[in-house]
Amino acid sequence: MPRIVRDADVSWEGNLARGTGAITAASSGAFEALGYSLPTRIAAPEGKTSPEELLAAAHGGCFTMSLAGELTGAGTPPGRLDVHCRITMDEIEGRGHLIVHSALDVHARVAGLDDAGLAQAVDAAHAGCSFSSLLRDAGVETEITTTLEGGD
Amino acid sequence: MATDRTAKVTWRGSLMDGSGRIEGVGSGAFGPLDVTWVSRADTPDGRTSPEELIAAAWASCFSMALSHALAGAGTPPERLETSATVTFQPGEGILKGAISVVGTVPGVDHPTFLEHAEGAKVGCPVSKALTGIPEVTLDATLATA
Repeated sequence: MPRIVRDADVSWEGNLARGTGAITAASSGAFEALGYSLPTRIAAPEGKTSPEELLAAAHGGCFTMSLAGELTGAGTPPGRLDVHCRITMDEIEGRGHLIVHSALDVHARVAGLDDAGLAQAVDAAHAGCSFSSLLRDAGVETEITTTLEGGD
Repeated sequence: MATDRTAKVTWRGSLMDGSGRIEGVGSGAFGPLDVTWVSRADTPDGRTSPEELIAAAWASCFSMALSHALAGAGTPPERLETSATVTFQPGEGILKGAISVVGTVPGVDHPTFLEHAEGAKVGCPVSKALTGIPEVTLDATLATA
């Protein structure tokens, strides 16, 4: 399979404290000129996205697809997966601001699957998701909780 | 103080034939956005993907860090135009990242701008979460006045 390339564009005007930026999904056009700023990144978002929120969407999307792939490969394709991802950034003394944690809360509705089968698929999905791998490489802890909701 | 940001994603069906949706994010800034395996691994057809979202997170984080460094040196930018590219190889992972920035920064020469850009490339929180990407390139230029 050929390499897959995705681009995003950002414009930023001004200094950090008072400046503002705009984020565009350049490859797909799925979103355009989403505004962001320092206050809305570190305090209340007030309707604005942030790098960490985009990472939450990326990790949620990556893990969910990996889990769908693992469940499909095991002969139990999911009826429905609901995944909530929470990314935490914190200031660590001597190291500045870091992404410190990703929490994935998975609700799976899968016919013919038991808790052990879900746990196995979740482990394989976390091992295989490209973004989970990067977080692991960077020493960012991922915490995964699961609820199996039975067949559909 | 720690900052939390959230997103909710749903998926229905198998990986190849099913489809997903980034239902929404905590801020409400975007969503729902559809995602599929085909649009992630082939042409996007208007759909975002995890790799595009990582690129967006990276470009936005890098731009803030660079503006902070430039302002700290007494030369805040008028404008930074940043693009981030993320290259994904299914089965292998994310193999490459590229950041390209064009700055409009009064009072700064190119070597100084490049030095600050190199600092943002390694120092911004998203960069520090992506240190596992084997190859990361930076292209930093100043806009001609």
